[in-house]
Amino acid sequence: MRKGLIKATDAFERIVHWSLAISCLLLCLTGLGMMFHSFNFIGTLMGGLKSLKYVHNFTGLWFAVSLYFAIRMWWKEAGVFSMPEDLEWMKVAGGYLWHVDHVPEVGKYNPGQKMFFLAVAIFGGLMVITGIIMWFPLLFPAGLVRLMYMLHALGFVVIFPFFFVHLYLGTVGSPGSLSAMTTGWVTRAWLKKQHAKWLKEMEEKGELVVFGEEKKETSAHH
Amino acid sequence: MTEYIKLIDVSKCTGCRACQLACKQWNGLPAKQTVNYGTYQNPPDLQANTWTLIRFTEIAEKDRVKWLFRKDGCMHCTDAACVKVCPSGALYHTDIGTVAVNLDKCIGCKECISACPFDIPRYDRATDKVYKCDLCYSRIKADLIPACAKACPTGAITFGEKKAMIKKAYDRAKELGGEANVYGDKFVGGTHVVYVLTEKPRVYGLPSKPSVPATIIIWKDILKPLSLIAAGGVIAGSFLHYIIHGPKLPDENQDQAGKGGE
Repeated sequence: MRKGLIKATDAFERIVHWSLAISCLLLCLTGLGMMFHSFNFIGTLMGGLKSLKYVHNFTGLWFAVSLYFAIRMWWKEAGVFSMPEDLEWMKVAGGYLWHVDHVPEVGKYNPGQKMFFLAVAIFGGLMVITGIIMWFPLLFPAGLVRLMYMLHALGFVVIFPFFFVHLYLGTVGSPGSLSAMTTGWVTRAWLKKQHAKWLKEMEEKGELVVFGEEKKETSAHH
Repeated sequence: MTEYIKLIDVSKCTGCRACQLACKQWNGLPAKQTVNYGTYQNPPDLQANTWTLIRFTEIAEKDRVKWLFRKDGCMHCTDAACVKVCPSGALYHTDIGTVAVNLDKCIGCKECISACPFDIPRYDRATDKVYKCDLCYSRIKADLIPACAKACPTGAITFGEKKAMIKKAYDRAKELGGEANVYGDKFVGGTHVVYVLTEKPRVYGLPSKPSVPATIIIWKDILKPLSLIAAGGVIAGSFLHYIIHGPKLPDENQDQAGKGGE
């Protein structure tokens, strides 16, 4: 860690994030192995497609637990849009797609991240419910089970693109972002560029934790 | 590919269940403990080790009772929902148009059970696999007719080339007259088990217009390709974004930490 870095996440946040991320990725991979015959070979790595089925099902339970903690932890910050500034941000697509002179400043989560959170929360929940019914199809009417298969596939169509954009913008697409989820420490320049409002809020409330400095709790307004 | 069909003429069936037994014998499927619930239908339903079954139906009319027999089992659809959903390729179309199961590949996901418009496949907990009639593919390949057809003493079950059998079915329905009808050749791309029924299909517990369920079509024909397009699109899109628009970098020289994060 270097002096001057700012703490963006705590350890619990990062554990939940990676628990959700790894289980989600494993589910995508094993799910693909069952969705397409040409991806059946993924099962070979796990000792056959039948084992892959069990890996998928039990990883689903792991995902469900991770999702529960993720929603409980983030819904207040990432699940609620603050208008009109979020709308302004969306109008310019956060400055990601074309040149924008002034991108509206955002707090801890930008509207893109909020949309990703909501997509995972809603469709992830849908994946858990449909998945459990698909696991025990003989306990339910066939018509309902067929609907679950359809919605499960729809969930993948929605979640995967969001997931990949998140992966891209969390790494090479936005350098400096990754450390927020690895060590938890980010640079002031990155924070100022990406989440200026949050930086200001933390400074105002005296919540800013800077590496190598005493926490400035006493210097705050209250 | 020459397609073959099994024709079941229910008007000739006496409900003797020789077909049921022959099926068990040829396929090595011993009987299980069963229950008597006041009908000849035994066991009560298709099972993982009972691939064909005579269904007995009693219809009470004013002054008489109609006692109907129908041999139930896989219809061997051309447009088979089970083959469409099977994730492992265990269910497949044979070279004669029937639907067989490669048990080595079956992973016991039960998707075919929900998909089948005729409610045919049965799951066995002990082996974690799904079973159904394969129209005696092994016998056909050895120039024998299916075991059920071989055992049938009245000629209610016959087996032969598709065209000839369908013609035979229509001739027979015409000969019988009344409500007699041919069931199987007009839906799900044509089944490879065709009935000559003497009553309307639903009287026998058969769906009037069976089809691959709409949810299955949306799932497999729309969402499945769409998932590849969406996934491929977003991966390609991210790459193009990187090389055209470029990553979003923090502004430099704002403070001493400005150069971090690359």
